[in-house]
Amino acid sequence: MLGKGFCAATLASALIALAPHTAAAEQGVTADTITIGAFGPITGPAAYIGLAGRDGANLAIKEINAAGGINGRKISLLFEDDGHSPAKALAAVKKLIDQDQVFAIFCVAGSNGTIGSIDYVKEKGRVMYVSFASAPGVTWPFARNLFRGGTTEVARYGEVYAELIVDYLKGQKVAIMSGREEYPKNEGDALTKQLAAWYNITPVKRAEFNIGDKDFTPQLLEVRQAEPQVIAFFGNPAEAAIALRQAKELGLNQPFFVGTNMTDQSLITAARQSAEGAIGVSLLPLLVGSSDPAMKAWEAKWKQEYPNLPAGRPNTFDLLSYGDMYVLAEALKRAGKDLTRDKLIAALESIKDYRISPIATPRTFTTKHHIGNLRLQPLQEKNGQWEPIAWEAKRPSDVLKRYQ
Amino acid sequence: MTWQVAFQLALSGASVGSIYAMVALALVIPYKASGVLNFAQGEIVTLGAYTGLVLSLATSLPFVALIPITLIVAALFGIAIERLLIRPILAAPEFTLVIATFAIGLIIRAAIRLYWQDNTFPLEAPFVGPPLSLGPLRLNPAYLVVIATLLVLVGALIVFFRYSKFGKAMRAVALNVTAARLMGIDINSVFASSWALATAIGALTGLLLAPIIGVNPEIGHLILKALVAAVIGGFTSVGGAVVGGLLLGILETFGGAFFGATFKNVIPFGILILLLLVKPHGLFGRAVQQRV
Repeated sequence: MLGKGFCAATLASALIALAPHTAAAEQGVTADTITIGAFGPITGPAAYIGLAGRDGANLAIKEINAAGGINGRKISLLFEDDGHSPAKALAAVKKLIDQDQVFAIFCVAGSNGTIGSIDYVKEKGRVMYVSFASAPGVTWPFARNLFRGGTTEVARYGEVYAELIVDYLKGQKVAIMSGREEYPKNEGDALTKQLAAWYNITPVKRAEFNIGDKDFTPQLLEVRQAEPQVIAFFGNPAEAAIALRQAKELGLNQPFFVGTNMTDQSLITAARQSAEGAIGVSLLPLLVGSSDPAMKAWEAKWKQEYPNLPAGRPNTFDLLSYGDMYVLAEALKRAGKDLTRDKLIAALESIKDYRISPIATPRTFTTKHHIGNLRLQPLQEKNGQWEPIAWEAKRPSDVLKRYQ
Repeated sequence: MTWQVAFQLALSGASVGSIYAMVALALVIPYKASGVLNFAQGEIVTLGAYTGLVLSLATSLPFVALIPITLIVAALFGIAIERLLIRPILAAPEFTLVIATFAIGLIIRAAIRLYWQDNTFPLEAPFVGPPLSLGPLRLNPAYLVVIATLLVLVGALIVFFRYSKFGKAMRAVALNVTAARLMGIDINSVFASSWALATAIGALTGLLLAPIIGVNPEIGHLILKALVAAVIGGFTSVGGAVVGGLLLGILETFGGAFFGATFKNVIPFGILILLLLVKPHGLFGRAVQQRV
């Protein structure tokens, strides 16, 4: 009897002793820390997304760790700058996975950096949670280890943009101005495709520009010649601000439609009066500056953490990454103490309508698709504020059909 | 193309060209005086914008009051660079000096990034606002202010170089350093002053740009275009730098309008190569004959 009891006690002791080692066997997970790697542009003309992505995620992590962490472990975030370059993004991801040995990747790179990293992340089987990038490759073809959080798939942008332009703005002649890099090019392509598929409309002009351009006169003159009823602009807020001002100087007073990354305070800060009347679509239920108590409380927390940042921050990307870091943390929690990649994937796929507070859009993942958010809210800029417009998309989306 | 559009393009081109011209001036002045081509001049533009930003955040001074303070700060910075970093290596090969100025620029930009990161900060100025209507024309007040500033600056430089004792001393040094020294001109003061003047002009350019495109570490990314403008003008000619800058801005804008945005960035370098084939010393430069 004594012998059996001794054996049981020894076995139990051995199991307890082994428990941390089992957890530690998973790369990036120790007894007290889960190391997450993150990357995005924090230098160059797209820094407004990477800096915000990093700061929003760090704010969430600070709160999560202060509240006790994840099943007894704290989250540690390692951040790499990708300079908005696919090649640098690949280098960043290789460093995070191979050198820093992170458990999972949190991507705040936007589409340009994200596409550079996808193949390597798939090859390594590491879980990558993409907070914002609309590039199709994140979620199609379906990869079990890739998840898209706050932004939706570019095909859905195409659907909503096309319907809004044709149904609400009554635009039959549409001109598109888009940047040459991944995100604006994809959005311009998606709008073109959907205008043709649903309304048999071909844009009267497609004018392209380079990221960081400061003069849009040549493109605007081409657009002017095409006599559009609506001008759709896909680029960065700094670019849109200049284009909006120059458009008015050249006598282009048509409605100006802008993509989701510009539908926030940063465009108004940069464009001032020239932004008046612009139409946009937001990925968020509430924008920074809203009088909603939840947003006011969040803004106060953010400003306490980052007191010296400029007007225009926090922006959409601070909010998206903050909300998404909480989604990832919730999945890590659900995955349990014995954390593995498979358990994290299963836990993420169990996320349904989850959000940390009303400032975030609810995210849902299933075993069939990993597109967390399909919600898009149309807004119009009036007197220095984005205001909801009384219109919503009615046509059923085709985006999820291919995942069935 | 209607005459209204042509006028808008000319105004836009002259405004962009004025910015190029100011940076080109800031390259040419110390080059004439000390023979050093300052590749950090783009970062001096950035520094001017950030100095204005810091002053606007730290004080409640209006934009107009920020200008003289920023210019004084920039001029002192120029003197410090010349005294501490350039003068000790003035005897080094030209290439070494160029690399040294490159390094100064990189250090300035990295230092700015350390604290401010790549956020874009707005800077309020009275000249940034809705376009002014003049009949069928819509005039951007910022364009007008930039062009007017260049004209005032050129006027002030002409008066300074032609009529002031120090300006004449700078011209003498530019012509012949040895002769100027023998005439009793304090060469070191002239070198330092030329750097102070150039950094002040660079900072003024940054202050003008900041309210228009926002303050960020890349705001002074103008050095290549300014170099092209300076070379078109002949490099050693102040008037040439201004003409080169304006010509470049206007040709670039009209070229973009006629041939599309893709060619816009090719145009300055195409013009440069063509011009150098026809006039190797630029529009206003002259070949220097030396007896050996």
